[in-house]
Amino acid sequence: MPEDKAHFKCLRCEAEFELPYTPGKLEERECPKCESNSVRRLKTPPTGQED
Amino acid sequence: MADVGRHPNIELLTLSEVKEVSGHVGNFRVKVKRHARYVDEKECTACGDCVEVCPQVGPDEFNFGLVHRHAIYQPFPQAIPAAFVLDMETCLGNNPRACGKCAEACEKHCINLDAVDSDVEFTVGTIVIATGMEPFDPLGMTEYGYGRMKNVITAMEFERLASSGGPTGGDIRRFSDGKTPKSIAFIQCVGSRCEGPGNSYCGNICCMNTIKDTLLLKDHWPEIDVTVYYIDLRAFGKGFEEMLKRSRQLGVRYIRGIPGEVEENEDQSLTLHVENTETGLVEQHQADMVVLATGVQPRAEAHDLNKLLSLQLHPEGFLLEAHPKLQPVDSPVRGIFYAGCAEGPKDIKETVTQASAAAGRAVRLMSQGEIAADPYTVEVNEDKCKACGLCLKVCPYGAFEWEKGAKAEPIEALCAGCGTCAAECRFEAITPHQFSDAQIVAQVEASLSQDPEQKAVVFACNWCSYAAADTAGVSRFQYPANQVLIRTMCSGRVDEKFILRAFELGAPIVLVSGCHFVDCHYIDANRQTVRRVEKLWDKLESWGIRPARLQLEWISSAQGQRFQKTMEELERLRREVTPREIAHTRRILKQKLHPPKPKKQARRKGVAAHA
Repeated sequence: MPEDKAHFKCLRCEAEFELPYTPGKLEERECPKCESNSVRRLKTPPTGQED
Repeated sequence: MADVGRHPNIELLTLSEVKEVSGHVGNFRVKVKRHARYVDEKECTACGDCVEVCPQVGPDEFNFGLVHRHAIYQPFPQAIPAAFVLDMETCLGNNPRACGKCAEACEKHCINLDAVDSDVEFTVGTIVIATGMEPFDPLGMTEYGYGRMKNVITAMEFERLASSGGPTGGDIRRFSDGKTPKSIAFIQCVGSRCEGPGNSYCGNICCMNTIKDTLLLKDHWPEIDVTVYYIDLRAFGKGFEEMLKRSRQLGVRYIRGIPGEVEENEDQSLTLHVENTETGLVEQHQADMVVLATGVQPRAEAHDLNKLLSLQLHPEGFLLEAHPKLQPVDSPVRGIFYAGCAEGPKDIKETVTQASAAAGRAVRLMSQGEIAADPYTVEVNEDKCKACGLCLKVCPYGAFEWEKGAKAEPIEALCAGCGTCAAECRFEAITPHQFSDAQIVAQVEASLSQDPEQKAVVFACNWCSYAAADTAGVSRFQYPANQVLIRTMCSGRVDEKFILRAFELGAPIVLVSGCHFVDCHYIDANRQTVRRVEKLWDKLESWGIRPARLQLEWISSAQGQRFQKTMEELERLRREVTPREIAHTRRILKQKLHPPKPKKQARRKGVAAHA
């Protein structure tokens, strides 16, 4: 399965960042800022950026 | 090996491949494909008449392709069974038919060129996995010139050269000119402990193997100048430090620094460019032969095996044990054990120790005749089961008997009690014998019966997060006391309805916490947690509830400080939730979870009367 990057948002500190993402693959993700695992993939990328 | 081959209670299946494993401890059904050997192993006496007439040759795998073997061959002199085997691929080459000279030469008529693969099936009580490892292939590390420069070889190739049964009869010779080298350089950690091509972990065996090789060289060829380039030498273990001292005393030079590049000179000797980290100088050293101390890595087959047996792989690719300290021999599936490098890089002593332990564990289990099933299993309510099969799909152990259209039946001997199936079942047909829905909901309700807006509900898995709370406690890490900790066996047990019930009762924040992915005690049950939480975030958002009020954290049992920090963060998030937001959430959930029943009865009657 191709590995791509996707936009994620930390639900603890609200930081937004990019992480490797493979559709359908469940991975342990961590916010690079606060190390929280409450990391949610943004289905629509932040304004001005494309997925 | 000979003992194994002769033992009346051991059936040895060589050239065989495990294709399917089903069942559970005490009753594993194993399907094995036996590849055709073309030689009757019981009749063959390994006289070698067939080899003498065989015209076809191929690379000798046992000697890492340094020499050739015939199409009919014995893999190595001590191979069990002591019989020849025909490699049909080498035998045929581009020809449609085998020449048959071997069959003609065999006086005992052991060779059958028409033999075909066969399938065998049997039942076993326990399984020991001992699939080993493979050496790292340094072709990708171009700086060392392996594959391009004839006198750069791997430690395994050196091993074959030094062996009296090897291709040179035990003589160390250069491949370029067949001469005995005057100087040999060993480069450590090739493909180990590196971020680029290679593996990030230590190969475990390479340091001691190199020290052993240097002693061998100094014993047999004291005139050869031997140098070892290393990052640090890991000579731990009984007698190992003494071996290192002896190697130094015999004149072996140890230089702390790994060569950045190896260059070939005109006479095919080699120049090594290295930063000596003890002097801080970049130096050039000459050597007639370079030996790369390559690390070890998991066999490619480990990946298939893990799927076949519902096991889990460590990120490094080795099979994951049930517990790294307390159950290092056990797999997460009861009745399956590990021996040797399938579980991680090991030397001979460690391998023998683990193999003995695995055999002991297997015998202990089987000698009982029967085993006590774990109490943390589940039962299926046949009336509620809709035969969807989702329970089997999410169960890490495949602990359900289910066929399309049929009701699911739990296999108690396989079930480890994570409860993921119960959390996943949409029809509430599955009830765990412990940690039932009613018990957990009762805990949620009781804990939020007073001042719910002051509390944060934490679902913590038994093995990691709950244990992390203990670690935080015994380490005296202070954290806010208003968190309500609800224990489940696995984070995969946390049902959507537990979380929604907590919000419905006024909880400002809910945390689902479990083991890190590699630590999951139920193979990969916590992947279902992620999937479920991600779905619930979407659902909460679509209902106008902030997804951030549902948090997810992986905290291992040793991470007391992480637990403390998470609890402090949880308290910060809790304070951000206003009473108005809580009231709004409760209103929404009341509508969504308990919609008013439509009052259609009277109307229908009216319509019927009118008609």
